[in-house]
Amino acid sequence: MIESMLVFGLVNSAVLMLLALGFSLTFGLSGVANFSHGGIYLFAGYLAYFLLKMGLPYFIAVVLTIFITALLGAAIYKLIVIRVRGIVLNEVIATFAIGICMLEFFRWLGFVTYEYSLPYIARGRFTIFETTLDYQRSLIIVVALLLAVFLWFFTHRTKTGLALLGMAQDEYTALAVGIDSDWAATYSFAIGGAFAAIAAVMILPLGIININIGYEVLLIALAVTVLGGLESTKGLILACIILGYAQVITSTFFAPHWKEAVYLAAILIVLAVKPSGLLGKFKELEERV
Amino acid sequence: MLDVKNLMIFYENALAVNNLNLDVKKGEIVGVFGSNSAGKTTLMNTVAGLTLHMKFREHRKGGQRITIVGQQNFEGEDISNRSPNDRVKKGIVLCRERHPVFRDLSVEENLQLGGFLIKEQVKVQESIDLVYNIFPPLTKLKSRRAGLCSGGEQEMIAIGMALVARPKLLLLDEPLLGLSPVMQAIVVQALKDIRSLEVTVLLTEQYARPIMPHIDRGFIIENGTLIMSGTKEELMDNPEVMSAYFGM
Ligand SMILES: Nc1ncnc2c1ncn2[C@@H]1O[C@H](COP(=O)(O)OP(=O)(O)OP(=O)(O)O)[C@@H](O)[C@H]1O
Ligand SMILES: [Mg+2]
Repeated sequence: MIESMLVFGLVNSAVLMLLALGFSLTFGLSGVANFSHGGIYLFAGYLAYFLLKMGLPYFIAVVLTIFITALLGAAIYKLIVIRVRGIVLNEVIATFAIGICMLEFFRWLGFVTYEYSLPYIARGRFTIFETTLDYQRSLIIVVALLLAVFLWFFTHRTKTGLALLGMAQDEYTALAVGIDSDWAATYSFAIGGAFAAIAAVMILPLGIININIGYEVLLIALAVTVLGGLESTKGLILACIILGYAQVITSTFFAPHWKEAVYLAAILIVLAVKPSGLLGKFKELEERV
Repeated sequence: MLDVKNLMIFYENALAVNNLNLDVKKGEIVGVFGSNSAGKTTLMNTVAGLTLHMKFREHRKGGQRITIVGQQNFEGEDISNRSPNDRVKKGIVLCRERHPVFRDLSVEENLQLGGFLIKEQVKVQESIDLVYNIFPPLTKLKSRRAGLCSGGEQEMIAIGMALVARPKLLLLDEPLLGLSPVMQAIVVQALKDIRSLEVTVLLTEQYARPIMPHIDRGFIIENGTLIMSGTKEELMDNPEVMSAYFGM
């Protein structure tokens, strides 16, 4: 049993990481908590569904989904968030409202039946540490790792990534060397969107797409970000591992529906005890969330 | 090269810069001297476009109003409404006061970011090597996190970053602030190197003495108002100015 708990804890951690990465990245880079993350995630899910239904090959549909969702992220900043940038409460209200509008719009469109689901990338299963694991879940772990590596490479080895980090660290100095702050924020919203899309394509195949997933994703992103602290990739990974294993433990010893309680408890405990997060450097969080 | 005419800047109702006229010619090193809150930083930030950016920000928030009146011309073109990054593209690069650096990035990465707008990576690398030549102590610190460097080292990084951006007009806001005499000497030496690169410099300082021998012209401002300007010789020959602003 220990073996299977270890394996599934890892799967859970990877799922959490995929779900939270976009939100946390946008937050860390632009300082805006994008509460429409859950809406964007489901948008990507439905978009992929319809592109596949149109008969596009899987790979092309996925790439298009990631690209279009990134544009959606950019548009959310350019058209709406830009107007309230810097006023934290308004940012929260605006992004939250966008998220709810998207989710409830999908509900209104009637996207709630069992036909809405995404295909597995690979069917089949294998046994590892006396635990049977399907290919889709193991791919989730691989993709989560790849994204973490990509992120490190992007932020430390590309000019654009460095510029985004610079803007997050000292806005006026970044402006003084010619980095534009709205460009940086638009970019970080776009990356947030792209990561939400990757998460959607990887994780949604595990079940039926339904509206409540959008709210749950937001809750997860919030829990991971609060726990992990801002701008610290290590903190983020640690938070995912803690929450991922906490879930496995509670659902093994109590019941699966304790999952949400784990997120809520994590948020409350961290805010009360160490508002800057496990490894966070900033205390801004208590003001923001 | 730079021509500022009748510049007035208000924060809310407080006047930070009052009807200021100032010009910088190509190849010159020009100093602006004044005590605390004379308006030096406000002037530099305005020329770099940061005040305009701040104004838009404040406007969006609907809060504090910043008013900028007057003309700012650079190479014959009105730049008053240009964004900071447009101005960097035109060659106006500011090194802000109190050596702000990107704290969590390495020294090398900081310098890389100075070249953000420069397309050819070769050119950026050339400039970075040049910075290491001007500030040899940085060579040993390449991979250290900038936030862990001393104030003097950070000043070198900050000036270095501005140089990598290949300015035509380099704005240095209190480059000697808080530096030891040894560090001041390094920065002053750098100023000579910068002049030999044919970069025009506009700098501010509270205490003019260490920098005085190296400037061509100076402006003295008090409470945002210009009270005197002239060549280095004119300023040095004026006993009143010498005692009040140069501590001699
Ligand atoms: N963002 C701001 N909001 C309101 N007032 C400001 C702001 N920035 C500067 N001021 C005011 O404008 C005046 C000029 O300030 P400034 O920073 O330009 O002075 P300074 O000459 O650079 O001083 P120091 O030598 O201390 O750096 C001061 O009275 C200051 O209080
Ligand atoms: Mg100042």
